[in-house]
Amino acid sequence: MTTTTKTSRDASPAAPVAAASRPRPRRKVEGIYYAFLLPSLIVFTLAITVPAIIGIFFSFTNSIGFGDWNFIGLTNYVAMFSDPAIVSSYLFTFGFAAVSVLLVNVIAFLLAVALTAKIRLKTGLRAIFVIPMVVSGIIIAYVFNFLFSNSVPEFGQAISAGWLSESILANPDLAWVAIVVVTVWQSVPGTLLIYIAGILSIPGEVYEAADIDGASKTRQLFFLTLPLVAGYVVINVILGFKNFLNAYDIIVGLTNGGPGTATRSIAMTIFTGFSGGDYAYQMANATLFFVIVVAISGLQLWLTRGRNAS
Amino acid sequence: MTYGIPMTVLERTLMSPRPRRTRRVLASLLGLALACTTLVGCSQGDGREEVSFHLSKPEAIPYFRDLIQTYNASQDEVRVVLDSSANLQAGFLRGNPPDLGLLNYNLEMARFMERGALSDLSDMPEAERILPEVQDLVDQYATYPGRTSVLPYSVMAASVIYNKEIFAEQGLEVPETYEELIAVCEALKAAGVTPFYATLKDPWTVAQGWFDYTVGGEVDVASFFDGVREEGTEVGPDSSVSFQKTMTEPTTTMQMLIQEYANSDAASRGYGDGNLAFGNGEAAMYFQGPWALGEIAKSAPDLELGTFPLPMTDNPEDLKVRVNIDLAAWIPEASTKKEEARDFLTYLFQQDVMDAYNAAQLGYGTTTDSAPVTDERILGMKEYFDSGRFYQGPSKAVPLNIPLENYLQGIALGADVESRLAVLDADWARLAMRR
Amino acid sequence: MSTQSALTAQTVEAGVVAQTGTPARKAPKNRGVRGEKSNWSLTIILILTSVTVLIPLYVTVVMAFKTTSQAVDGNAFSLPAPFTLDGFRQAWTLTDFPRAFMFSALITAGTVVGTILLGAMVSYAISRNWDRRLFRWSFYYLLAALFIPFPVVALPQIQLTGLAHLDNPWGVTLLHIVFQLSFSVLLFTAFLRSIPGELEESARIDGASTWQTFWTLIFPLLAPMSATVGIFAFLASWNDFMMPSLITADPSQQTLPVVQNIFQTQFSNNYNVSFASYLMAMAPAIIVYLFTQRWVMEGVTQGAVKG
Repeated sequence: MTTTTKTSRDASPAAPVAAASRPRPRRKVEGIYYAFLLPSLIVFTLAITVPAIIGIFFSFTNSIGFGDWNFIGLTNYVAMFSDPAIVSSYLFTFGFAAVSVLLVNVIAFLLAVALTAKIRLKTGLRAIFVIPMVVSGIIIAYVFNFLFSNSVPEFGQAISAGWLSESILANPDLAWVAIVVVTVWQSVPGTLLIYIAGILSIPGEVYEAADIDGASKTRQLFFLTLPLVAGYVVINVILGFKNFLNAYDIIVGLTNGGPGTATRSIAMTIFTGFSGGDYAYQMANATLFFVIVVAISGLQLWLTRGRNAS
Repeated sequence: MTYGIPMTVLERTLMSPRPRRTRRVLASLLGLALACTTLVGCSQGDGREEVSFHLSKPEAIPYFRDLIQTYNASQDEVRVVLDSSANLQAGFLRGNPPDLGLLNYNLEMARFMERGALSDLSDMPEAERILPEVQDLVDQYATYPGRTSVLPYSVMAASVIYNKEIFAEQGLEVPETYEELIAVCEALKAAGVTPFYATLKDPWTVAQGWFDYTVGGEVDVASFFDGVREEGTEVGPDSSVSFQKTMTEPTTTMQMLIQEYANSDAASRGYGDGNLAFGNGEAAMYFQGPWALGEIAKSAPDLELGTFPLPMTDNPEDLKVRVNIDLAAWIPEASTKKEEARDFLTYLFQQDVMDAYNAAQLGYGTTTDSAPVTDERILGMKEYFDSGRFYQGPSKAVPLNIPLENYLQGIALGADVESRLAVLDADWARLAMRR
Repeated sequence: MSTQSALTAQTVEAGVVAQTGTPARKAPKNRGVRGEKSNWSLTIILILTSVTVLIPLYVTVVMAFKTTSQAVDGNAFSLPAPFTLDGFRQAWTLTDFPRAFMFSALITAGTVVGTILLGAMVSYAISRNWDRRLFRWSFYYLLAALFIPFPVVALPQIQLTGLAHLDNPWGVTLLHIVFQLSFSVLLFTAFLRSIPGELEESARIDGASTWQTFWTLIFPLLAPMSATVGIFAFLASWNDFMMPSLITADPSQQTLPVVQNIFQTQFSNNYNVSFASYLMAMAPAIIVYLFTQRWVMEGVTQGAVKG
C-alpha cells in the first residue's frame, strides 16, 4: 500500500482521467489498477470463456463427457436439424418467449402509467407490484402448479367451461399457457421498474403543454409517453426476450417439460439430453442456441440503433 | 437471472450517500461464511480409506446396508459408504464417480463401458466363475476390447405371472402355444374374469412387460439388434431389418391383446394399482417381473402365483423367458481406491452372500456354483433359464434418448403400430449418425 | 491519519454537492407528477389488480397454516381452521430447513460481497483507464456474459467444477459472482462516470495512494449503487435453482429452492407441509426486500424527479 503513494506522487502532473481528450504522452497506468482488473478478468475467463470454448470444441466430437471420443465434424449439427425433439423445443421456446415479451411489456407499461399517475397509496401499491420478482421462480411455480391442478379446474367446472375443467397442465396444447402466466407474473415487476423510471424522467412541462393544447389523456399516452420511453422499451424487449429463452426454473416447477415433451424448453433439452448421455450432441445444441441468442440480440440492437436510452 | 436496467436509470439511482460500515459488515459475513463451511466440511475422519459404493435398487438397499455394516465391522482398513442417489452421469463427468457400483446392467451402463470408463476386472478370480450364457448377455450390449468391465451379480427372469387359484377354478392349463393362449383368454372372458391386468399409465410397464414379452416370444432379439446396429444410418423401410419390418407383427398382437383381453381402465392404472389389483384377484395374468412379486405379497401374502413364458408361436420349443442382468458390479477407471473396492467386491461375490441375495430377491445366480432357485413363484422359469432359452428385453436395447416407452404407451392406447415403428426407425438412424 | 479523515469528509462533502446538485425537492403529497387531484378510480383498479397479483402468495400463507386434513379438502382459499404450525414443524424436519437455509445464506452472502467488491474494483479500474485499450476491451469482454446463456456453458462448467473440487457451494458462489459481474460492471461504470475525477485529484495531492483513494473515497460514494447491485445479486443468488442443482454434487449441501424440488415427491399431498416449506423458503427474500425496497424505489423515483 505504501509503494503506490510514491508512484502516484511521481505521476501527479497527469490531467484528470475523466477529461482525456487532448493528445498527450502515453500515460503510465498504475500497477494497482491492474490489481483491480486482473482478478475479475481471470476468474471470468476461467469460469465462462474456458468452458464455452471447451463446449464448442466438444460439439464437433461424439464425446459423452468422459472416456474415449472421436472427432465427427459437423455430424451433430446435421443430426440436430432433423431431430423433432430439438426442433420442437426451439419452436416452443421461441414462441413462448415472444408471447411473454409482448404480454410483459404491455402489462408493465400500463401498470407503470397507472402507478405514476395521481393515485393514493402510491408507495404501498408500488411495493406490492414488485413483490413477484422477489420470490424464487421454481417455488412460485410449485404454488401455481397447485392452483392450476386444483383451484382452476374447480373454477372451470363452476362456470362450465369445458377446456378449463381439467388441469391445463395435463393438456399438451394448453400447458404452455400456464407457463406464460407464471413467467409474466414474475417478470412484470422488473420491467415495471424500468418503465416507472422512464416515465418519471419525462419532464412535467411536456404534459402541461399537451394539456394546454387540449390533447386527451389517451392521446397523450400513446403519442407522448410511449415514444418518449421508446428507449426503455427497446432495452426491456432485448433483455426480456433473452431471459425468456433461458426458461427453465418455472418449467421444472410447473410441468417438468410435460405432458410428454410438449413444454420442453431448449435449456431443458440440453440438461435432460446430457443425463441420457448426449454430452457432445447437447453441446452442439447449446452452441447453436448461443449463436442464435447473439444474432437475435445483435439484430434487435441494430434495428433500434437510434432509439436506445442514452 | 439478471434484471436489465438501462444506463440512465443507473445514473439516476442516486441517493444521499450515507457513510456505511459496509466493509466491516461484509468482512465479518465472509469470515462467518468461512467458519461455517469449514465446520460443516469436517467429517468424522477415523483414518480409514473410504470407498463409495453405489446401489440404487430400492428393494435391495436394506439388505446391502446390513452387509456393509458387517463388512465394515470385520476389518479396519476400509469403510464402505452406501450412496444411492448420486447422479452417475454427472459423477463420471466430474471425474469422481463412485468407487464400486452394483447396478442394473443395461444400455446406459454399456455406454460407460464402451467408452472405456470402467476398469478391467478380468484378473479377478470372480471373473472365472461367471456362467458363459450370462457372459453372453453382458456382451450383447457392448464390449470394450480386451477388458472385462462388469461382473454380473444377479439375473432376473421375468415372464407372465399367473394366479394359480383362478386357473384351477376355471380348469385351465398353462398355455404353451399362441392358440392355447387365446383359448385361455376366451375361456376367462366368458367366465367373467379379466384375463390380463395392464397398467398403461406407467410407460415402463408397457415396455418391460407387454412389448418385451410379445416381441421376445417371436423375434430373435439378439440377432435383430446386431442387424440394426450394423445397418446404423440405413435403418428404414428399405433395410433388411428394421423396427417397422421386424416388429410390426408382434407389436400388433400386443395391441390386440391389450384391447381385447385387458382391464378396461388400464389407461389410468399404474404399477402400484396393478400390484394391488392383481393381488386382489381382479385378473388372471400379469406381465411383470419378480420385483412385483414382493410388492404383491405385501397385500396378498398367501396368494398362489406361478410364472410361464408368453407363447407367441405354435411351437412350444420357441418358448423363452425374458432376462436382464439386474445387478452387475463395476469399478470405474477414475476411481482412486480400486484396491479397496476390489476387496469389497470379493466380499460381495462370496458364494453364500450371492446365494442369500438371490434367494431373497427372487433372482437367478450368475456363477457356475450358484444355488438353484427354489421359490414356487419363479420355479416355472427355471428350466428355460437352465437350458439357455432366454432373451434380453428388446426395450432395454434402445438408448434412453429415443422415447421408446412413450411410443409404446401410445401404441398400447391405440395408435397406429406401423407409423410409430417407422418413427422409431428414423430416430435410430439419426442416433447412429452421430454415435 | 487525521488529515486522511478530514480529507475524506471534505471530499465526500464535495462529492455530494457535485453529484446531486440542488437538493431534491420533495413531491408534494396527494399531488401526483402533474399536480392534480388523486384519481380514485385508478387507485381502486390498481388495488383490485394487486389483489390478483397477490393471490398465489395469499394461498401459500393460508395453506401453510392449515392441518393436513384441511389442506387436502381442495379449498385453497379458505382460512385455516384450526390455525396450526404443524406444517411448519414437519417441513422444518423433513427438508432439514436450517441446513438448507445455512447453505443458501452462505452462498448468497458470498455472492453479494464478492459481486460488490469485484464489481466495484474492476469498474473503477476500467472507468479510470478508459483511454487504454486493455481496460476498454475488458469492459466489453465482461459485458459479454450478459449474452451467454447459462445452458451454453453449464455442461463444461459441471465438468470443470468437479475436476477442481468446486462441485459444492463454493463453486456455486464463484459462478454466481461471475454471472452477476457483467451486470454490476454495467451499473458501477455508469455510476462512476458521474463522479468527477477532481475528487481523486485532490485526494492524490493530499498524498493518498490510489488504493487508499478507492477505499476511503470512492467506495463509500458508490454506496447507493452497491446497494442496488447488492440487492439484485442477493435476489438472483437466493432464488436460483438451475445452477446449484447442477453444480453441487452432494444433495445434503443444497440450497432452499433445490431442496423444494428434491422433496416434491415426498410432500405428496400433504399440502400444508409443502406450502409451509415454500413459505419458509420465500420469506427471507421477501423480508429483505421489504427492508431495502425503499432504497430501490427511492433511487428510481428521486433520481428521475430530479431529471
